[in-house]
Amino acid sequence: MNPEPFLQLDRLIHEKGRLAIMSMLAASPELSFTELRNTLDMTDGNLTTHIRTLQQEGYVSVTKSYQNNRPLTTCSLTAAGRQAFTAYIDLLEQIVRQNKPQ
Amino acid sequence: MNPNLAEEHLQTIRLLMERSAVYRRALAPIMLVAGGLGLLAGGIGLGLHLESAPAFAGLWLGTASVVVTLAFLLARRQAIKDHEPFWSPPTCRVGQAMLPPLLSGLVLGGWLILPAAHWEMNVPMALVWLLFYGCALHSAGFFMVRGIKWFGWGYIIVSILLTVFISAATGVVGPSTGNWIMGLLFGGLHLAYGGYLYFTEQKSSAV
Repeated sequence: MNPEPFLQLDRLIHEKGRLAIMSMLAASPELSFTELRNTLDMTDGNLTTHIRTLQQEGYVSVTKSYQNNRPLTTCSLTAAGRQAFTAYIDLLEQIVRQNKPQ
Repeated sequence: MNPNLAEEHLQTIRLLMERSAVYRRALAPIMLVAGGLGLLAGGIGLGLHLESAPAFAGLWLGTASVVVTLAFLLARRQAIKDHEPFWSPPTCRVGQAMLPPLLSGLVLGGWLILPAAHWEMNVPMALVWLLFYGCALHSAGFFMVRGIKWFGWGYIIVSILLTVFISAATGVVGPSTGNWIMGLLFGGLHLAYGGYLYFTEQKSSAV
């Protein structure tokens, strides 16, 4: 088996929690912190850490605003994040295809 | 990386992406309209003594048609306002999830009502409708905000409990019972849930 695609996998996205966040954001224009936390069943601290890591890499943008006088944090994928996520999926598909009988 | 693990990863990603793209149009106005019309129809049924099986079926199927039409128009208006397509993938999934139970309830309700001429079948028909409606809401709940699932369970549980109670008790069912059940459960529960959503629902919208 050719190990090349595996070696190219983006380590930052490959982590379980961050991959889940990226997957959800890839399917929605934006999601609130609460929606992400509730759907992924993560703690506030865990989610904050992952989002910060993704933000530092330029994959996720975070917007803070107010809704009904309450703070609202929303997250969305940046163009770089979407590109990295697409590349990650392509590599996974390549790994799966490699092992399929011809 | 193990290819099976890669495939598992892809499946998880697909699942999460589907879960993310949930139907999140504001439901409070739709619920309030359904509740108001349900109570109004209950009042009309009781006031005008629409108690024969055909009149009862006509009243409530007519009400359901008006509610569905208004719900469609309200959701479409929201979509236009937000510059988003109405017939989005989450909307399709919600429609597909609701259709089988709603169709089953309609057919079974029709099968119960067709041979009946008087009011005796009104209550079984109402309970069948509410039960299947609860199932439809529960199915749709997989692609909507999580409260809808509980709302669906509410209808399912109340319908079953009422069926058990009415089967066990004697003399509790009269000509107007069907209209009471539909008015209070269809109208009342929608109104209560709509009121709850009105104060709690996030105003932002997405697909």
